[in-house]
Amino acid sequence: MARQSLRENSALKSNRLKFVLSVMTAMMAAGCGGSKVTLHNPTIPEPLIDQMPLIVAARYPEVFDSFVHEEQVIGKEKWSIDLGRSNRMLFTQLFGSMFTDFSVVGAEDDARDLTFDALIEPSIDAFEFSVPSQSQTEEFAVWIRYRIKIFDKDGTQIANWPIAAYGKSQSGSFGGDDALKRAAVLAMRDAAALIILQMDKATGISKLSEAHANQTATPAEMPDEMTLRTTAAEDIPDESGL
Amino acid sequence: MNQAYNHNLSRALLLVLSAWLLSGCVTSRIENIREGNTGLEEGEGIVIMAKSYHLGNETEAKFISCVGKSIGRGSSGLRVIPNNEFVDALFPWFEPRTAPAETKGLPTLMSRPGVAQKIKDQGVRYVVWLDGDTDKVAGGGSMSCAAGPGGGGCFGFAWWQNDSNYEASVWDLSGLEDAGTVRTDVSGTSFLPAIVVPIPLLARTQNKACNALADQLRLFIVSDESA
Repeated sequence: MARQSLRENSALKSNRLKFVLSVMTAMMAAGCGGSKVTLHNPTIPEPLIDQMPLIVAARYPEVFDSFVHEEQVIGKEKWSIDLGRSNRMLFTQLFGSMFTDFSVVGAEDDARDLTFDALIEPSIDAFEFSVPSQSQTEEFAVWIRYRIKIFDKDGTQIANWPIAAYGKSQSGSFGGDDALKRAAVLAMRDAAALIILQMDKATGISKLSEAHANQTATPAEMPDEMTLRTTAAEDIPDESGL
Repeated sequence: MNQAYNHNLSRALLLVLSAWLLSGCVTSRIENIREGNTGLEEGEGIVIMAKSYHLGNETEAKFISCVGKSIGRGSSGLRVIPNNEFVDALFPWFEPRTAPAETKGLPTLMSRPGVAQKIKDQGVRYVVWLDGDTDKVAGGGSMSCAAGPGGGGCFGFAWWQNDSNYEASVWDLSGLEDAGTVRTDVSGTSFLPAIVVPIPLLARTQNKACNALADQLRLFIVSDESA
């Protein structure tokens, strides 16, 4: 009986030791490790804009279904942000609000079998973020560089437009993870605002609608050469400050 | 009865004295410049916004929230529309990149589809743009702390000075004009003496600036001094 009690006591001590050790390990790992932030399907509000009368299709790259970015702060913690399907959702919602007829086509679909005025292929060129220990401020900042390629119904590329979006959030107001999430959402909203404001000016996409109208009405009146842009300028002034 | 009363009084005095001792020295200045007539009709409200970080503004989110809460508090409180609701309802026209930087951009903004109606639906008469931040401008002293098996403690003295400078520009959305500006500048020095236990004597400059700005903004918007 006494031996059993001694054994139980020893097992209890061993369990306690294990528990203390695991807590200490977890604490040490947390100190040296980092944070993983996941965006759970953020949405943008319904934009207050007039839709463009265009039949538009969008084709997304694979990375739009699962995008993870990691940043190792030298000598400090490692941060990673998982955007999941956020980019797909952002562009689907955005283009759905911008154009009267919008659909998403799969990577395997042959564009020649589809009817549209424009095919848009957005992609991510770069994603960066900074955390307070890097910037020596209380702020998390996120930069996203998207690229938007637009093709006409014949498959000719009419625009190749890079856009740089930025979002910033203070860690004092939100927790660290939430502040990074908010900065990422703000950067995506910034991209959406920029696309709404500048897309037609930068790419001339609305001219494809005129081409469509001319072609269906009187094919003979179709101009020989449409004044389409092959590459949109990167330094188009935005309308900030109106 | 009398003894209990005296006891309560001395406790209250002790509390007031402690509160006074535990706060640092603060000096504040507030001024306003009126450009146009103001006033609020039934059902009208205001929205508090931070100037865009694209323009280099670093106003703290907690300060914006503090001003909004202070202006809306009490029987004379104004109707404050939460800025995230307002920004979402008017997306994308009040995003940091797209928000108008000057009142001369307001007519263009109002002519955009649905914008004027949405602002009317929200009952927003004034947009208050906040600019500025709180900075540590000076500091000094030294303090050392040690801990051992028998206990621990700190010894030394530290001090620092914070400066809270904020400016609120009031835009009247009914007249599409600048109604004026309210500015506050609060400066304070905090002390941290330590003999075994550190005793913080904090100068809450940001909190003071928030309350001063909120009170002045409420007066500025409601009362029309030019009338």
